[in-house]
Amino acid sequence: MLKALFERLRQGFKTGAFPPAAPNLPPEFRGRPEIDSDITAEDVERAQSVCPVVGALSRDADGAKLDMGRCTFCGRCAEACGKIRFTKEYRLGVFRRDDLVVKSGEHGYEPPKQTNPAALSLKHTLQLREVSAGGCAACELDANVLGTLAWDMGRFGIRFVASPRHADAIYLTGPVSKNMQLALDKTFAAAPDPKFLIAAGACAISGGLYEHGKLPATPALYIPGCPPHPATTLEALLRFTGGM
Amino acid sequence: MTETKIFETAAEANAFLDSLGGYVDPKAVSPLKGESAHEVAVGPVHAGVIEPGHFRFQCMGEDVYNLQIFLGYQHRGVEDAIAAADGNRSRQIALAETCAGDTSIAAATCFSEICEARDGKHPTDEDLRLRELLLELERVANHVGDLGALAGDVAFLPTASFCGRIRGEYLNMTALVCGNRFGRNAVVPGGMRVALTDEKKAKLTEWIARTKKDLDGALRLMFEEPTVLERLEGTGVVPKETAEEIGLVGVARRASVELQGDVLSRALVRRMEIDEAHARITEILLDARNRAEDASRRATPQGDAASRRVTTIVATVNAWRGPLVHAALFGEDGAMLRYKIVDPSAHNWQGLAYALRGEQISNFPICNKSFNLSYCGTDR
Repeated sequence: MLKALFERLRQGFKTGAFPPAAPNLPPEFRGRPEIDSDITAEDVERAQSVCPVVGALSRDADGAKLDMGRCTFCGRCAEACGKIRFTKEYRLGVFRRDDLVVKSGEHGYEPPKQTNPAALSLKHTLQLREVSAGGCAACELDANVLGTLAWDMGRFGIRFVASPRHADAIYLTGPVSKNMQLALDKTFAAAPDPKFLIAAGACAISGGLYEHGKLPATPALYIPGCPPHPATTLEALLRFTGGM
Repeated sequence: MTETKIFETAAEANAFLDSLGGYVDPKAVSPLKGESAHEVAVGPVHAGVIEPGHFRFQCMGEDVYNLQIFLGYQHRGVEDAIAAADGNRSRQIALAETCAGDTSIAAATCFSEICEARDGKHPTDEDLRLRELLLELERVANHVGDLGALAGDVAFLPTASFCGRIRGEYLNMTALVCGNRFGRNAVVPGGMRVALTDEKKAKLTEWIARTKKDLDGALRLMFEEPTVLERLEGTGVVPKETAEEIGLVGVARRASVELQGDVLSRALVRRMEIDEAHARITEILLDARNRAEDASRRATPQGDAASRRVTTIVATVNAWRGPLVHAALFGEDGAMLRYKIVDPSAHNWQGLAYALRGEQISNFPICNKSFNLSYCGTDR
């Protein structure tokens, strides 16, 4: 008992200052991409040839588009053509699927604000039930890490609960593998109304590198990444309930 | 480490890949009969934030007579997807990295070594060292997380809390090197996409020394606490002979062969491996490595004879759970016909089932954590 207290004193207070302070992101962190307006068809082709995900990068009459819902943020497209850059913007969570698509020439990104009263009513008390449906464990581990004392999301009233019966939202990771479809549908059905679906990671949002199963509902929150950085996830969950 | 084999036909090569194992076949046993016989089913969705799997405890009274493990919920077809992506290596390596997210660095290294053996293009000594550094950080992060989870499962919260935070430090060190906490997008065929600059090296050296001190303090608490030791010792024993007979690998094998094969032994092996990994990391950071040793870590070129023949290349990396094996089959025209992944977990599920025999269901969490096997790595 005393030994544990001494060790705690020696290690000190370790919960991060984020939020409200800015998160401590690594220097090589890749956040929200930006595409120059003068990107050419050849540039897009060159970037597509090194992109690991089918359909993440596309081009039409309006210019080039990068779908963060598919992107693994590997940065290869930026290396291949100088017209794409990954900024340090970590606030990537959005409430509509279309908002995940970054278009060439866009500037001055501001993350969307929550207006849904049902979501706003969950401020300071958001109970999540996680379902991994074909997830590779990276999204799961980096969701779990928010419960550790380094991030301590419990101080904002956000918790992962053991049963869907106690959950306000199902926090989905993974592309929804065939063999998890039934379990996912049943778990979502078991949560009481009103309920939300949160799609975390490229796999849950679009299938990512894999074939996408069927989502039990339209997600109310999309958190892109492969996996999303814990700061991205925490900020998105807080903003989802009108917290940030 | 890679090994290239030449075959006359693709059928022979396929049979060789099959012989590498890696498939977990649940052997259903007859239902238990009798007054005190009953079955408890859990999963695929578990209470924690973890991957899905289904467990069925067949019990006689309070004792578990047999544990049946049903996997396959995580199957995404990673192997077929890698073979189908032949020609797009960035897609192939991304698929390999997401086969089991907690083993991303080892998987990317396996895939890269296969390509390197094929191409005959080798990474520089610096790149090899950086790969090893990341691999050891991956090992430490996972072992620290597991020891913390084990402490949490016996309700010893100080170590559980400390380790949860300290595991994150090692992930952040990985992110300092390459930008991703799981070391993704760093290892590529022929080398690395990032360099270990002097600035990063200096920062890492200081960071790791400070963190190791916190980690030692956290682990000392756990391993000096009689109530913790009492729960771990003698629980979930896999004797040495059994471990060898059922072919356990990695941490679980060391625990049974070098120690007593119980939950405590598996925890102690993790602690030893943490120290061994730190010694290697320090050696790399201080540049105290013999260069000849680096050269021996390179993939072995397949040789000219293999280029127009049916060939398999098998790459093995000492990942944190045990040996991770990737294998590729190339046809006479050079196309990749098949890709196969054998996660160390595939060899060890039977060990977990064995460890639970004669235990109570209440000991399942600590037995399970002491193995911490990968569902997605096994299901692929």
